[in-house]
Amino acid sequence: MKTVLNSITAVILASTLVACGSSSSDDSSDTSTPVTEVTGFSYDATDLIENVTEQVIVDGYEMLNSKAAVLHNATLTLLENKNEAALAAAQQAWKDARVFWEQGESHIFGPVDSLSIDPHLDTWPLNTADLEALLASNTTFSADNVKNFDDGVQGFHTMEFLLFGNGVEDNDKSIDEMTVREMEYLIACAEVFNIHTQSLVDAWVISANADDEPAYKDYLLTPGNDKYSSELGVIEELVNGVIGIVDEVGNGKIAEPFGTSIDTADTSLVESQYSWNSLTDFSNNIVGVQNVFLGTFSDENDSPGLKAFIYAGDAELAAKVETQISAAIAAIDAIAGADDMPFRQAIKDDAGRVRIQTAIDALGELQATLEEEVVPLIKEWNL
Amino acid sequence: MNVKAIKPILFAFTAISLVACGSKTSDKSATETTTPPPTSSETDPNYIDVVTLAGDATALDTNNSGHGFSTPMPNLSDSELDIHLTGDANFETSFTTAPNDAHPELDGLGPVFNNNNCNACHQRDGRPSTIVPTAEQQTVKLANDAGIFLRVSLADGVCEMPSSINDFCQVSGVEGFGDQLFHRGILQAREDWQSHNFGGQADVYLSYDYTEFSYPDGSTVTLKKPIFTIDNAWDSPENFSLSALANEDVRFSARNGMPVFGLGLLEAIEEQDILALEDVDDADNDGISGKANWVFDAVKAQAGDENPVSLGRFGWKASTPSVRQQSLGALRGDMGVTNSLFPEESIANTLMHESYLSRTNYQDTGSDEQGLPEASDEFADTVVFYAETLAVPARRNVADEGVKAGARLFDDLNCTGCHTPRFVTANGAALLLGGVAAPAAVKGQEIWPFTDMLLHDMGEELADNRRDFMATGREWKTRPLWGIGLTKTVNPAAGFLHDGRAATLEEAILWHGGEAEKSKREFTELSSEKRAHLISFLQSL
Repeated sequence: MKTVLNSITAVILASTLVACGSSSSDDSSDTSTPVTEVTGFSYDATDLIENVTEQVIVDGYEMLNSKAAVLHNATLTLLENKNEAALAAAQQAWKDARVFWEQGESHIFGPVDSLSIDPHLDTWPLNTADLEALLASNTTFSADNVKNFDDGVQGFHTMEFLLFGNGVEDNDKSIDEMTVREMEYLIACAEVFNIHTQSLVDAWVISANADDEPAYKDYLLTPGNDKYSSELGVIEELVNGVIGIVDEVGNGKIAEPFGTSIDTADTSLVESQYSWNSLTDFSNNIVGVQNVFLGTFSDENDSPGLKAFIYAGDAELAAKVETQISAAIAAIDAIAGADDMPFRQAIKDDAGRVRIQTAIDALGELQATLEEEVVPLIKEWNL
Repeated sequence: MNVKAIKPILFAFTAISLVACGSKTSDKSATETTTPPPTSSETDPNYIDVVTLAGDATALDTNNSGHGFSTPMPNLSDSELDIHLTGDANFETSFTTAPNDAHPELDGLGPVFNNNNCNACHQRDGRPSTIVPTAEQQTVKLANDAGIFLRVSLADGVCEMPSSINDFCQVSGVEGFGDQLFHRGILQAREDWQSHNFGGQADVYLSYDYTEFSYPDGSTVTLKKPIFTIDNAWDSPENFSLSALANEDVRFSARNGMPVFGLGLLEAIEEQDILALEDVDDADNDGISGKANWVFDAVKAQAGDENPVSLGRFGWKASTPSVRQQSLGALRGDMGVTNSLFPEESIANTLMHESYLSRTNYQDTGSDEQGLPEASDEFADTVVFYAETLAVPARRNVADEGVKAGARLFDDLNCTGCHTPRFVTANGAALLLGGVAAPAAVKGQEIWPFTDMLLHDMGEELADNRRDFMATGREWKTRPLWGIGLTKTVNPAAGFLHDGRAATLEEAILWHGGEAEKSKREFTELSSEKRAHLISFLQSL
């Protein structure tokens, strides 16, 4: 570990002399300027921040945006052709867009929050009473109209409900079960969805909002502004972002429907239950963590991510986090078991519950390491 | 010794000793040494070196990032932390239209409302995004991305002191609307819902007047002032001039969401310490008065108190006395979700509500067969506890010389005349928050909120000309400044002031008037370098 001058540490240790010392007020030596040891490590985070910003966050949103365009086109084709192939293509397009959204949940900050894009795209559970009333009404489904709808009747899960059905018995809604009105609603939702994903990309790469602000990415790439006063703020944002999603997956998305026993397991709480895509969602959430950790979408390159930062302070800790991320992803992927059981069935299955508990434990270990070892490490960083 | 110098030194020792005496020790392998930076002068203001703005209830691990407002107080017990985290999840829970068979615990939204969850107006526990029309738009309708709404009431003069004779100074609502304009609704809230999906009591549009402010040194800042336009009122959709809202005596006032951290500490400030700062008639002749707002206390009223009046502490005009009343009032009002403290729907006893109930078979009356409200007590209590126990982020860049210069200017310009730096919160078993025993975490803490919790005349430009209990149409409560430097980190699109008009702290200062006019003018007369120092001090908070 490198040692560098660190005024904050110095003040803390100087204060210790008074706070912890015995009665030494008469000791004239206490009036002299304290001399203290300094600890910490050095790391130039410029490349890390650039890589995570450009190669993970912005690239991820651009992929989401391109998949959203594909989804919108697939819904138009569905209305035009009204056949099983078109429905299957639209369902797959929904799943493809879902990958990049779920991975992006490892960094929910900036425009995705400030533009309310997260609730517009991913509100769950649905406002089912209004959704059903809308389908039964004379309402015209246009992008202009749907954009101002309640968030509980637009976005991913509304489209999921329309594409896959209620998910109770199966996730393979047939074309015969789909009404033209559902298709029209779906098209309008997909168009609005794509408008939001485009806004998200634009905010990151062109201007953060209508007040002619710079691209949001610039605030991260050049700290010293009213968003991030230093690189420390960016690193703290990234670390706490990944902690947030690890916590949400382990203690929320998985643990809440899982309940405390097979009798208290609640399928109504399972996200992406209509498409039976839940396990893929969860896995992609932690793949998103891995992306930020590695600095790219792949580990086959040398671009720095959080791993490089942690490595600079504690090489063993970096290896530990990497192993635990991989273990958590593997444990989530293993929940389906040999018979490819969906999550909503696994929480009601004895063997499935054992596999789920293994995943919860793996996520808990990762979260504990991040909170108890990585967060304190940030304080050791000498900017 | 100058008194100002004592507090920071004592503070630094006591606050930091917790770390120094704990398990974290210096790395014995370290070899380099240094000396601490020079301490501040004895004539410096007492807050200049303060880092932990809320004592043990300060967030130290997230104070540089957008997570800075969302951290539980680190001094909560394990069981309290569990309650806080449950409240955290509930704070983000979106309510839905009743009935919701799959999720009955989530039904009860509306029928009219401003947002469907707490977080929507308090994004990441901070201020909401200011809605600004795009280049192609002249105006923008408040919809599912707005964290702002309008209060409405009738002009009815002043109210000197709440009592049973004057209905405790509560405002006079507008016939058929009440005292808050709900610009959104569930799908079928309105009779004309087929052509007006998700419409509320009326549509509200927002645009801005832009002006240029020039400093004496010639530099300029563009300021924007919101203009709200109302249309399509439920009581007269075709002709707004016939709506009750169009009457001349109706007053409107915008309410932007505000940060929700540190609130339990503000409620724990001794009443006598706030009242000691009052100077209603400006007896000291410094141009700054300071007036308490005495308000209706719903918790006391529910408990049978014959004089349910308390010191107002929360809201833009200090019109609610507790986090509990503020939060549960918002739950019933802003979201339309009834609860034990406010068991009636926000538009109960109006023709709009009667129409809604009869059209939808009385399946969303605001209470169930057992008479229970839409939000359970567990939901309500955990959300309140959450808002009471969010930590205050620690300061940043305290040792920076520009920040220190700004801290001195903040005192020199008498910003501290209203933004009172320091309090010590109450202690003892008897301390209640909203009628419930206070958690130990908020007790006996030395806090630096930079507010006197009092009302001040802020001048014509900020005036809403609408009374709120004892607050006049020119008076606003001094905003706490702790954490304000993280506002744009938490939400880059957040705006300051009651209507979000100020995009930056500099703009917010320039809107100050009335009792703050002198301080504002002296700020404008500073060199650009010194103005930057003052801003950098605010950014460090």
